[in-house]
Amino acid sequence: MVALRAALLSVLLTVPCVCANTPAPPIVHRFHQNHLAMGTEFTLDLYAPDQALASEVAAQAFDEIDRLEALLSNYRPASELSRIGREAAAHPVITDPETFHFLERSLFWSRESDGAFDITVGPVLRAWGFFFHSGRIPSSSELVALRPRVGWQHIHLDPGTRAVSFMTRQPMELDPGSIGKGFAIDAVIAILREQGITSAFLSAGNSTLYGLGAPPGAFGWPVHVPDPHHPGQPAATILLHDTSLSTGACTEKFFVHNGHRYCHIFDPRTLSPAEGMLQTSVIAPSATDSDALSTVVFVLDPQATRYLLEHTPETRALLFGQPPDHEACLAINWEGSPCTSAKPSPHKDLPL
Amino acid sequence: MIARRLFLQGLSATAITAGLAPEISAQEAASQAETEAARQIAPSADSSPLRVGIIGPGSRGKELVRNLLRVPGVRIVAAADVYPPRFDQLNQVCGYTVPSHTDYRALLDRKDLDAIVVATPLGLHASHVIPALQSGRHVYGEKTMAYTVDQARDIAAAAKVSNRIYQVGHQYRYSPWIRAAIARVKAGEIGNVTHILGYWNRNNDWRRPVPTADPSGHLERLINWRLYHEWSLGLIAELGSHHMDIANWIFGSAPTTALASGSICCYHDGRETDDNVQVVLSYPAGRRFIFTSMTDNAKQGDQLWLYGTKGSLNVTLEDATFFYEPRQIVKAPTNGKGEEKGVTTSASYRPEGEMPYRGPGKPLTIANPEDATTIAIRAFVHCVRTNTQPIANADVGLGSALGVIHANQALREKKEVAIPLIST
Ligand SMILES: NC(=O)c1ccc[n+]([C@@H]2O[C@H](COP(=O)([O-])OP(=O)(O)OC[C@H]3O[C@@H](n4cnc5c(N)ncnc54)[C@H](O)[C@@H]3O)[C@@H](O)[C@H]2O)c1
Repeated sequence: MVALRAALLSVLLTVPCVCANTPAPPIVHRFHQNHLAMGTEFTLDLYAPDQALASEVAAQAFDEIDRLEALLSNYRPASELSRIGREAAAHPVITDPETFHFLERSLFWSRESDGAFDITVGPVLRAWGFFFHSGRIPSSSELVALRPRVGWQHIHLDPGTRAVSFMTRQPMELDPGSIGKGFAIDAVIAILREQGITSAFLSAGNSTLYGLGAPPGAFGWPVHVPDPHHPGQPAATILLHDTSLSTGACTEKFFVHNGHRYCHIFDPRTLSPAEGMLQTSVIAPSATDSDALSTVVFVLDPQATRYLLEHTPETRALLFGQPPDHEACLAINWEGSPCTSAKPSPHKDLPL
Repeated sequence: MIARRLFLQGLSATAITAGLAPEISAQEAASQAETEAARQIAPSADSSPLRVGIIGPGSRGKELVRNLLRVPGVRIVAAADVYPPRFDQLNQVCGYTVPSHTDYRALLDRKDLDAIVVATPLGLHASHVIPALQSGRHVYGEKTMAYTVDQARDIAAAAKVSNRIYQVGHQYRYSPWIRAAIARVKAGEIGNVTHILGYWNRNNDWRRPVPTADPSGHLERLINWRLYHEWSLGLIAELGSHHMDIANWIFGSAPTTALASGSICCYHDGRETDDNVQVVLSYPAGRRFIFTSMTDNAKQGDQLWLYGTKGSLNVTLEDATFFYEPRQIVKAPTNGKGEEKGVTTSASYRPEGEMPYRGPGKPLTIANPEDATTIAIRAFVHCVRTNTQPIANADVGLGSALGVIHANQALREKKEVAIPLIST
């Protein structure tokens, strides 16, 4: 049995106290709402004095998510990202600062990870049959033919004019799937703060999470990280306080061929599914970054991950790999020692 | 009736013929209008500098700014708003500090502005758009054009006198899928369109949070202006005006009468405007546009249904789908010799035979499905640079405003109201 561990992520210098001369904290209630967007279900929990305020704030939060979905979705031809994907091959496309910033951050993680993270990888997933739930193994010539249409290094950003151009002169599909949910969460958290909300928890399908402040009387929002080697058992429980956590795993979108599991998280450098990793969880102050990093560390080999995270302030990671190629459990900057009691899986291959 | 029929066809045939030889046919004029529209809609390589100011950078204003910043050469150089937190939000959108003014007149006094966007509450549109035009700037003014018919006409007159561009925020006129669908409707694909039904339903109280203490209620009325008569014509204006504009476009006419009702059914929170409304607008030849909006059930969402004698068209915020009525009986050809060719028997299943029996419909597919607001804003910049009349000009704005304003009057007076034939 893995022991539960609670680690407080931001150092709280003051502990709430009931003193005679401090005004009593306002009475707040907890509210909860769900919203389907970006191909997943967002949930918002927040503390507010009354239902009317909670519902207005939630409406603003979900409107913002819908706005960003309309801006970034690769399933919507009218999105700004789709427009760029279509036109930046023919001429430089001037875009708005928000979209430009989104692309800058995406390319930043591509550069930092030596290409392990890449928002242009869509056509490769398509070739592997990931969009229609019918996996297939493409021929290597098929993959080689995709090369000119894939590759973050083909995107040129000019910050002076906010112009985006594709150096290969080929249209590219820009897929926000591995960073857009985090980007949306950061935007919503900014709105919640602006509206004076001090305690809220926002989740995009449980894979990208943000804890704003803490629930009354608590130090943070509890999150359990499961241990994929021991289904049903948490490997760690942490408290999110003004920070985010994202998890990448190969447990939902995958296909099995000849007993091998092919994962929807791709290694853009090999144009093939990432191998050896089962689950990655990354904590970072920005949800955009933790979202991107959960993919980065899924694809990178553990040494490269360790090097990257040790050079990225305020990030922590808990990784579960498949021995013998990868360590069964690897904690980087993670509070406590979640790996010491996580036993290697008795099975060579993951139970499907 | 001719005047009413030709009225309001977007970049209207009348407007085109007015400046040309009198013998030009309506058909030729319409095709010239189409060519000009295509030119406005297309991206342009022109990146000459254009300095834009904004009055009212609220939620819509910021979205317009995002779109302006996608047009090469455009820079936002000044903003005016009475609510100071907007300035920081605008700076965030722009990525630089935009010089700000708490009085719009100080913005108009600047010497470094070519065009102005007005995105203030409806009741203030005329008081901002008219001085902006008179100051010699081109104006993109949000819909609904104005709060009263007189104000709408004054805006049109100010644009004419100052010889500046006025474009109204009816961006669906620029939507590629709506344009493509309407072109097919105009070519007769669903027969004679006699009824248009517009739904715009939501499930929330239509309020925005007031972030700070507000003992005087002043901020509540500024932020939730939609809920108070002073500046708002309610759901009919905020949601119905878009559908009314499309109905005018399809029927090729402004409405002739309005009937309406509404009530406060759910949200008894001190608001003045109704939380549900129902409108019937009449058009020449007995045609009807019906609009309903409620705010406590969003099942129908935002949809427009066009019903014609041969089929129907469903338009939503992001797509368009055609459905066809069963064919009428037709005379069948025979081979003359009286011989029957015979049929080959097979299974009877056909997907379009499933309930509902009209089948899933034929979605419209188009090559270049850009966002309507992105195009409308780019087209505005094109019109300013080339001094061209915009597709969504003052006539378009006035046509929709006539429906909105008279439907509100009918609602208040609880009777059918005649809509006078008014042009700009
Ligand atoms: N075309 C569309 O699809 C569309 C969509 C949404 C809104 N709109 C229209 O845009 C307009 C604005 O709507 P919104 O939702 O952005 O409202 P909003 O309340 O968010 O923004 C209005 C802004 O105007 C400011 N303002 C009020 N009085 C002012 C004054 N005297 N001087 C300067 N600024 C002043 C407010 O402080 C606010 O920042 C409305 O007419 C609305 O119908 C159009």
